[in-house]
Amino acid sequence: MTTPMLEIRDLHVRIEEREILKGVNLVVPKGEVHAIMGRNGSGKSTLSYVLAGKEDYEVTSGEVLLDGENILEMEPSERAVAGLFLAFQYPIEIPGVATMTFLKAALNATRKAKDEGEISTPDFMRAVKEAGSALNIDADMLKRALNVGFSGGEKKRAEILQMALLKPKMCVLDETDSGLDIDALKVVSDGVNKLRSPERSMLVITHYQRLLNHIVPDVVHVFSDGRVVESGPKELALELEAKGYAGFDGEKAA
Amino acid sequence: MSVVPVRLGPAETKLIEQLNAVGASAEAERLAAAGLPTRRVEAYHYTDLKQLLRAVPELAGDPLAGTDITVSPAAMAVAGAFRLAIANGRVQKHGTAPGGVIVGQAKGGVLTTRDDVVTRLNGALATEALTLEVEGSIEPVIQIDRRIEGAAAHSASAARIFVADGGSAVVLEVYSGSDEAHLSNHSTFLQVGRGATVTHITVNLMGAKATHFATNEYVLAEDANLRTLVINAGAQLSRTQLFPRYAGAGAMADVTGLNLVADGQHADITMDAQHAVPHTSSKPLFKSIARGRSKAVVQGRLVVARDAQKTDAKLMSQGLMLSDEAEILSKPELEIYADDVVCGHGSTCGRLDEDQLFYLVSRGIPKADAETMLVRAFLAELIDPIEDEALNEALTEVIEGWLARG
Repeated sequence: MTTPMLEIRDLHVRIEEREILKGVNLVVPKGEVHAIMGRNGSGKSTLSYVLAGKEDYEVTSGEVLLDGENILEMEPSERAVAGLFLAFQYPIEIPGVATMTFLKAALNATRKAKDEGEISTPDFMRAVKEAGSALNIDADMLKRALNVGFSGGEKKRAEILQMALLKPKMCVLDETDSGLDIDALKVVSDGVNKLRSPERSMLVITHYQRLLNHIVPDVVHVFSDGRVVESGPKELALELEAKGYAGFDGEKAA
Repeated sequence: MSVVPVRLGPAETKLIEQLNAVGASAEAERLAAAGLPTRRVEAYHYTDLKQLLRAVPELAGDPLAGTDITVSPAAMAVAGAFRLAIANGRVQKHGTAPGGVIVGQAKGGVLTTRDDVVTRLNGALATEALTLEVEGSIEPVIQIDRRIEGAAAHSASAARIFVADGGSAVVLEVYSGSDEAHLSNHSTFLQVGRGATVTHITVNLMGAKATHFATNEYVLAEDANLRTLVINAGAQLSRTQLFPRYAGAGAMADVTGLNLVADGQHADITMDAQHAVPHTSSKPLFKSIARGRSKAVVQGRLVVARDAQKTDAKLMSQGLMLSDEAEILSKPELEIYADDVVCGHGSTCGRLDEDQLFYLVSRGIPKADAETMLVRAFLAELIDPIEDEALNEALTEVIEGWLARG
């Protein structure tokens, strides 16, 4: 069997005294797109932050393997250059940091990890322009400080632009549909779909089924009270929509 | 009024002796009666000179008489600048001034009437002042190097700059010296004429044992436009006083400052701005970055006179603490006598934003680089408006140098 892109084994996480993740088990094979659905407060976002390495969370037990390598001991920046990418639910505004400066620093950090030299300015400009045009990102938006004054839709498109530039192996999309109208949702989903490839896996976290009409997953996992309670084909999302999360709560002990 | 006798310390005794030696007996008597200001004096609340100024070195001699030091290496160099120097309080010879600039000398120190001990000491002890009369638009940056050479010395120096109506100039002053326990007391009086545009930047690069005092007084005529930036990156103890006076309608200024303090340093920027006439505006902005066991002080006071209607003034102070032992003290004061004004103030202080830092590192940027990016972002607001490219670069170098020493 080939190594999965992401394997989470019995992951327990707490913040201060409260346990948020209570034994998460999840396998995402290479090239597949998996969705995690669950109601607010079920621990979905915590999972995404723990994968990316945010402090404040204490992993009490379990393992997270990225392409066979345990990443829990790595710094967040090391995880990123190893190929993990988190598209934030709420991308952070950073006044005073130019978007282009940031993109170049991020891209060069990734290249350095692969022993590639720094990208030349013309190559960089070309890459950004190319990735940006598919996402309706114009030069004006890129001239601004990072995420500052961006609309909700612009922020999400900028996240996908970063994903396209950094070419990660494993993308975690946290509530990428939140705050998007139907047109913006389509642009963002098209951007994500373009990045699907046999060498890249995705974990799409959402609590609405509608995003999954656009980014069609191979597998859907239902998340409740800090663990995966059910996994199934994409039709599971429809069932969930019909029955509601309450219908799955009883199965969490399974 | 009863007179409470003040117990004088060795620094005060020495200052009094020096004042008497130059014939400033009235100032000597004042100092003997009042002593150096303590924390009980509001303007010195966070910079208690009686506590902090422990020793005063001998008055500076003139070891450089006759030598031309304008070609000696400066602590900071700006490509293409016209350079002048004041060494140990004495105005030095200089190269050919650009057209529109008349360089001269005058007796005495500052022109201010402020009742302030640092200012008065400068007035009494500075024997000669560099004068600059500027007419028209001056292209090259005018750089004044104020240096203290040789053994530890107490040196007072002064510059008076007059920019004529409609003129424009960029003036940089750099304070540096040999690595001794100097006490420097510099003053600048800058008059910005009607409709004139001036940028005035001062950079304190004094050695680690030095004490540095600077007083900058600005007078703005009608429609004058001034941008100032004070950078404190040197000296163990420094106090920079900014006294802008908005004297003509339509005058506006961005008075800005930056304290960069590391272990063992104490830097104070104190502004007292007078909006004297209607329709003037100012945006004072001060930032401090403190690391190690250090202290940065920002005091900003805006006084709006009864006649100064339609004054538009926003005072902001922001602090960034890079260690647990750092202290940043910020005190804004608004004193408004007019009733139709827009005035405000704000003050923030904290560490680097954890969420911003996480966002950057989550994209693969190493933590140290991400921190540097955020510190630069914090400072961008002060440096970006400096339009002269060579000067902008030189200032960025000073700041990057400070950051790299972390």
